[in-house]
Amino acid sequence: MKPPSFDYLAPGTVAEAVHALAVPGRRAEVLAGGQSLILDMRLRRTSPDVVVDINGIDELADVRVERGALLAGALARHRDFESPLVAPGPLGRLLSRAVVNVAHPPIRARGTMAGSLAWAHPASEWCAVALALDAGIELRGPAGTRVVAARDYFRGPHATARAPQELITSVRLPLLPGGTGVAFAEHRRTQFCFAQVAVAVALTVRDGVIAEARIALANCADRPLRAYAAERSLIGAEALPPGHGRAPPTRTEALPDLPPSTRTEAVPDLPPPAYGPFARAARIAAQDDADPVPEPYADVEYRRHAIAVLVARALYEATADGRAHAADDLPVGDPR
Amino acid sequence: MSFAYTRREDERLLTGQGRFVADIDVPGCLSAVFVRSPVAHGRLRSVDCSPAASVPGVVGAWSAVHLTGLPACAQTAADLPDLPPIPPVLLASLSTREAVAGREWPTLATDRVRYPGEAIAVVVAEDRYQAEDGAAAVGVVIDPLPAAVTTAAALDGTVTLFEGMSNVAFEFEAGHPIDEEVWRSAAVVVEARYRQQVLLPSPMECRAFLAVPRGDALTVWCSHQMPHRLRRELAEVLGWPPGRIRVIVPDSGGAFGSKSAIFPEYVVTATLAVALGRPVRWIEDRMESLLAATRGRGQDQRVRLAAGADGRLLAYELAIDADVGAYPHLGAALPTQTARMATGPYLTPRVHATVRSVLTNTMMTYPYRGAGRPEAASALERTMDELARRLGLDPAELRRRNFIPPERFPYDTPTGRRYDSGNYAAALDLALETLGYERWRRERDRRRADPAALPLGIGLACYVERSGGEPGGLHEFGGVEACPDGTVVARCGSAAGGQSHETTFSSLVADTLGLDPARVRLIEGDTGEVPEGVGSFASRSAQIAGAALQRAARTLIDQARQRAAALWELPVHKVSWSRGTLRAESDPPAAADLGELVKETGPLRVDDRFEGAMAFPFGTHAAVVEVDVDLGTVRVLRLVAVDDCGVAINPVAVHGQALGSAVQGIGQALYEGVPFDDAGVPVLPNGLLDYLLPTIAEVPPVDIAATTTPTPVTPLGAKGAGESGCIGTPPAIVNAVADALRLADPGLLQMPLTPDVVWRAARASENARRAAAAREPGRAENAQRSGHGAHGTSGGADRSRHGADRTGRGR
Repeated sequence: MKPPSFDYLAPGTVAEAVHALAVPGRRAEVLAGGQSLILDMRLRRTSPDVVVDINGIDELADVRVERGALLAGALARHRDFESPLVAPGPLGRLLSRAVVNVAHPPIRARGTMAGSLAWAHPASEWCAVALALDAGIELRGPAGTRVVAARDYFRGPHATARAPQELITSVRLPLLPGGTGVAFAEHRRTQFCFAQVAVAVALTVRDGVIAEARIALANCADRPLRAYAAERSLIGAEALPPGHGRAPPTRTEALPDLPPSTRTEAVPDLPPPAYGPFARAARIAAQDDADPVPEPYADVEYRRHAIAVLVARALYEATADGRAHAADDLPVGDPR
Repeated sequence: MSFAYTRREDERLLTGQGRFVADIDVPGCLSAVFVRSPVAHGRLRSVDCSPAASVPGVVGAWSAVHLTGLPACAQTAADLPDLPPIPPVLLASLSTREAVAGREWPTLATDRVRYPGEAIAVVVAEDRYQAEDGAAAVGVVIDPLPAAVTTAAALDGTVTLFEGMSNVAFEFEAGHPIDEEVWRSAAVVVEARYRQQVLLPSPMECRAFLAVPRGDALTVWCSHQMPHRLRRELAEVLGWPPGRIRVIVPDSGGAFGSKSAIFPEYVVTATLAVALGRPVRWIEDRMESLLAATRGRGQDQRVRLAAGADGRLLAYELAIDADVGAYPHLGAALPTQTARMATGPYLTPRVHATVRSVLTNTMMTYPYRGAGRPEAASALERTMDELARRLGLDPAELRRRNFIPPERFPYDTPTGRRYDSGNYAAALDLALETLGYERWRRERDRRRADPAALPLGIGLACYVERSGGEPGGLHEFGGVEACPDGTVVARCGSAAGGQSHETTFSSLVADTLGLDPARVRLIEGDTGEVPEGVGSFASRSAQIAGAALQRAARTLIDQARQRAAALWELPVHKVSWSRGTLRAESDPPAAADLGELVKETGPLRVDDRFEGAMAFPFGTHAAVVEVDVDLGTVRVLRLVAVDDCGVAINPVAVHGQALGSAVQGIGQALYEGVPFDDAGVPVLPNGLLDYLLPTIAEVPPVDIAATTTPTPVTPLGAKGAGESGCIGTPPAIVNAVADALRLADPGLLQMPLTPDVVWRAARASENARRAAAAREPGRAENAQRSGHGAHGTSGGADRSRHGADRTGRGR
């Protein structure tokens, strides 16, 4: 597991980095956190002539709120999003709930959000979140800067709209309006493996009905997906209280004789009811929006089932989140 | 006994001071990298090594054509004392050599490749990077052939691994065939099929081999369980007298059975080091290990268990089709362990077990922690829980009614084992008490009455295993030497791969001599320092090597007294030994420290060999799980492991072994499996992100407890420890999931219990319950129970429908 030889460059500015990437006839890769690139190089899945290390470009480390959006520089590490205070209101909550599903702490300390978007693994949490938020991906290349909308960015497994000579300089994540509840639900086999299915949800409620719904799916196709059909089915629906259709499951803290380490753990939220707008949306997301690729231990039938379960759970969780934060979020309709 | 319970090894290992094969600094050492088959089965048309030769840093590249004369690997490994355990009566008619004949494992593939990862060529370069560059340049042309990666596929006759020869390399039976009348007349007969999936032992350190030639001698550093055996085999390979080879086992990152043999990579590396006259090192990386290292388990089992209405077991039948991989090597006869241990802890009067060792296009199965016993315990204990469900009996009570009682030992089982000692009910009772069995049963029943509650289940598994090894390998070397500085050197023929020998054996010798353990130093895993040895496997070291060391230490005391007596011109009985000092009640009184005695009388060294017998550790494991039936996720809430390994020489070391093996047992039950693509190649592109080992986040609260039933077969009373969790934990967890789901067909739950498997089982169980309720409203539970005959047969049909998922080999 050793890579073939390669050149290494460590530019100090974005302009130098772009220049280094754009030498004709030379295959270049960008090194940010290195959590995927180094593995791919060691496995000889990619063999660049030159590795352009951007870690010395200070301006790329910036994470700030500006003009109604969170701007995350290319060197923003996963762990920078672990606090919900990284962005005001529902956006910060969604990012912080998504990021704990990204690998494990050492990887989160090093890996970057932009790197996840560049790698574009179908199971990537950040790719689904970017889609859910209608993020903009800022690319700098020899011809200048362009911003690609997330919906136009993902082209397939590890395939994106980014040209090899372009550098992701930042990711623009628009703030979510007040009255929005968010959730991130993920299903995976162990704590530290790829998601079998993950779902990002943001539900904006006005006057008790759903005004806007964002549902993005990870590892439910060969690329991240928005569940547009499911979203449409929810517009105008009543925002259901948690527990609708089925009583809550017994919590583990009621168990006899359970050691303290497990007592406080969250229990999977409500199972999907058989009817109601959330159940309908979950079915639509699973059957119409998703296009699952079979994987070992998760064939298409199981995948679709799991998608429905997770979407329903995430919708309930988002509803509960919206209610819980109704008072402290910005007023409806005045997000920026 | 006074023992140091903190491990001596830990300071070194935990502060990065450990010295592993990859750490041995040898100037001018070359690095070897292997070119491997990317296909499961095919005709090898050509191997072009010439492009590699021009890669900078490459010293040479060789395929089988260039290395003719390399011996086949299987021949020398066929007579491992522990495995395969072929009884003497069968030696004349059915030996592993017969299984191997005509099916030798070539060191490098010649005209055919039979498993993905089979070594085809080797590239040696100044460093690892250059060697991998060279390996990437080697051109290999293979015409693929259809592959068989399941026993069923290999048995259907469409794929032949060796022309003109059967894919069944070995057959065996234990016990006598059971008359059909027994099954017909029994009150209850449970039938089931189980898959013991293929597992990858996955030590932290993969295989590692360093060969350093010097003059006409060769020094080998290898992470290995049996250094003396490796020396013997290398001597055969090289055609050298063993005395010219020294094998050293430095710190080891674990083995779990996977480092007990000689492998193609070792033969090639040693041969090239000698041929080139330069040190050559091969370090297996993780991706290579996932493809080409040994694997464990791999059995398709059919069982029948008959009982009377009172739950007394009448007969048990176990038929095994073992997936032994492409070449009949160490694992070919390993399933005989399963057959011999089929009886378990019960008084079942009739037990019959049969084995077919089936060749498949996969890397070979070898002993892996538990080695044949987990497969036996899993089949029997899964079936016992189903029997209890059908009889409406508490699973604990069913087991209690059938245990071999303590007064029946030694007990000769129908499958040919003589159990030394046991108190199975004591272990069960302690497990139930530790768990809080009754409270968990109440919680389970409460949840059953609450449709919104997550289902909870309790599973038990009672096991007996075998430790020490098999006849022919039940001896070990132990030596103790007194040094002039007052310290003592203990030498042992075993070789630790993480089993705390430095702590345990030093303490054992110190305790026997009455010395501070700091005065004792252990030397093992070095054929230059230890005259003979068998090794570390089959949970044998404490039981056999421990006894050898204890006896050698006692002999040393006797010899020291004799010497002192001669020195002081006194009868021996006048000389006493206390805490390393010899004293005589003479006039004037005489006294000498052991070191002084050596200074005065010359070297004092006892080399001893102890011959022991098999012992049979046992225990009960209990698991409580909660199942999210909508996703199929299993959460282990509690695991209790009660193991009886006789007298524990070092309880802390035993505790660590119990915990570690329980975690590996969790891995088998829930996470670990090797999926294959349609062409028979493992689908593990991201290594350990695809082959999921349990991490610390997957480890539930585990309670380890012990009962102590000494074995009469060794003076220490110690049986083997360290494999228990791999044996008892998997069936306990699977039984708990079956209990949570109230599963009518045990065949629906095949390991690993991945979410899709559990979800499908839950759905099938729910459908069956609804159907039964519809047939007999108000008597759903009864209907389900009495209607089980139908489920039993439908299990077979279902198996073929979901066969791909259940065997873990579909995509």
